[in-house]
Amino acid sequence: MTAKTHNGELTFSRSELMAVELSKRLRNDDVTVMGTASAIPQIACRLAQLTHAPDLYSIAGGTCSVNPHLGPVVPSCGDYDLLRADTSLSLNDVVLLEGRADVLTVFFAGGLQVDAYGNCNLVAVGDYAHPALRGPGTVGLPFLSRVGRVLIYTQSHNPRTFVERVDFLSGPGFLQGPAEWKASGLPGDGPQLVVTPLCTMGFDSETLRMRLETVHPGVDVEQVRAATGFDLIIPQSVPTTPEPSAEQLSLLRALDTHGLLKGK
Amino acid sequence: MTKVISLSEAVDRYVPNGVGLLTVGGMHLHNNPMALIREVIRQNRRITRLLTSPCGALNAELLIAAGLVDEIATSYVGFEHIGLAPSFRRSVESGSIKVLECDEAYITHGLYAGAGGLPFVALPKGIEFTDIPKVNSENYSFTTDPFTGETVPVGAPLKPDVALLHAYQADEHGNAVVAGAHFVDRYMALASKTVILQVEEIVPTDEISKHPQGTTIPGFLVHGVVEAPGGCYPTASHGAYNFDDQAIAEYIGMAKDDAGTKQYVKQFVTDLNEAQYLHNASERIEKLRYGRGPLAVALSERKA
Repeated sequence: MTAKTHNGELTFSRSELMAVELSKRLRNDDVTVMGTASAIPQIACRLAQLTHAPDLYSIAGGTCSVNPHLGPVVPSCGDYDLLRADTSLSLNDVVLLEGRADVLTVFFAGGLQVDAYGNCNLVAVGDYAHPALRGPGTVGLPFLSRVGRVLIYTQSHNPRTFVERVDFLSGPGFLQGPAEWKASGLPGDGPQLVVTPLCTMGFDSETLRMRLETVHPGVDVEQVRAATGFDLIIPQSVPTTPEPSAEQLSLLRALDTHGLLKGK
Repeated sequence: MTKVISLSEAVDRYVPNGVGLLTVGGMHLHNNPMALIREVIRQNRRITRLLTSPCGALNAELLIAAGLVDEIATSYVGFEHIGLAPSFRRSVESGSIKVLECDEAYITHGLYAGAGGLPFVALPKGIEFTDIPKVNSENYSFTTDPFTGETVPVGAPLKPDVALLHAYQADEHGNAVVAGAHFVDRYMALASKTVILQVEEIVPTDEISKHPQGTTIPGFLVHGVVEAPGGCYPTASHGAYNFDDQAIAEYIGMAKDDAGTKQYVKQFVTDLNEAQYLHNASERIEKLRYGRGPLAVALSERKA
């Protein structure tokens, strides 16, 4: 089955593609945790469980339920419906586990700003004392420094979001680059992936700066470059993000009966 | 001795004007003790410092909208997928409210320290790589780990003067059942000097005591119990009804400037008593009632 209609329009939304791309990065032995406004990672984890990673555990960081059954997916991480799950922890339990650095393997993150080294900012844009934009606050993002792999997702890809250096560092990525990252002795592997409505990005192994990996169907490299507020590493050849398979879309839509990802 | 009191009496007696540290339970749009919060606004109680759970929502935002908050210790105030909290945002940007910038780990561990009489609490490493301790030396510091000699982050204990919390049920003594997620409400109860509960229903003690493991807030920590069915609306009351995203969106729409915010507070809080507010909201609440969610199943099994 092709993922296009007879008019050539895509039969999946950008958010659905983002969920599928996140899902592909998850492993069978992962224990993942996610926080605020997490419909996309919720679906990514459940999709991974239903396909290549049946033994994956995922924790919804609000209710702290483990392996929520998700039918339907809900927009709030604190939702009562998430308690239809395999088991449940308390928030205090999850905060304890987030601190010990050898249990949780994946943390889903985002920000008002994400910088070239994958640092995130959910606190304030501009001068902290007199912010141009006051964000909601950082919640659990400082724990990015304690977890195995950080997967970043954001619905907005523009030069205001993707900046050379975050105005306020509230979620550590590769800090100010290789020297500081190495000196930090942090236990995890740092940010591994950034998924946006335009593309997927990874990080260059030498410079630890963000590097374009794939552009989504219908998006070109120049569009991504223009939408990024720092000097993004762009390899000579950039493949197109694979379209979700019919099976992936059918599984995903069976979970997303409220259509939270549809058309977005 | 019964601790059941009316909503107006609870605030009048236990929330002094200028209260030092007031904490409000619930997380995101869930289990916010809105009946108590609306009454704090009606009685015009100033709050010197407000403390949220790791994710504050309408509980903090409405107090800020009413102009009652001098300082807020928080790691998040917002409406998750629905949008930013306009009064919090505007008040911080204009400098009319002071933020004590926190993260989730500190709020959780700080309440634990407050509950246990710990002089301070060691925090997981990693926070030192963020800008948070740099802007909040009142709550964060660093010390030498006496066992390893390393420098480690530490947090001050959080000891609220008053906690306003929601629970699903309680008996007249304040023994309370929290349905669904507990968030950090239980630690707020353990750490606070005075605890006021609003509940969907007050039930007899012999009903509560059939399930002691499910009754997670003991009455000896509780000072007042207010029966407030529908009292979390427009946020969710786990076990009873879901949040109302339309009502939140309506708030965000009205609160985009000072005049609209004042109008909202007048129209939805100060011009009405709680019974009138609930009467207006009752149709929406009925529509938002959960079907056979986890608690409905548990309760039906209990009755069977």
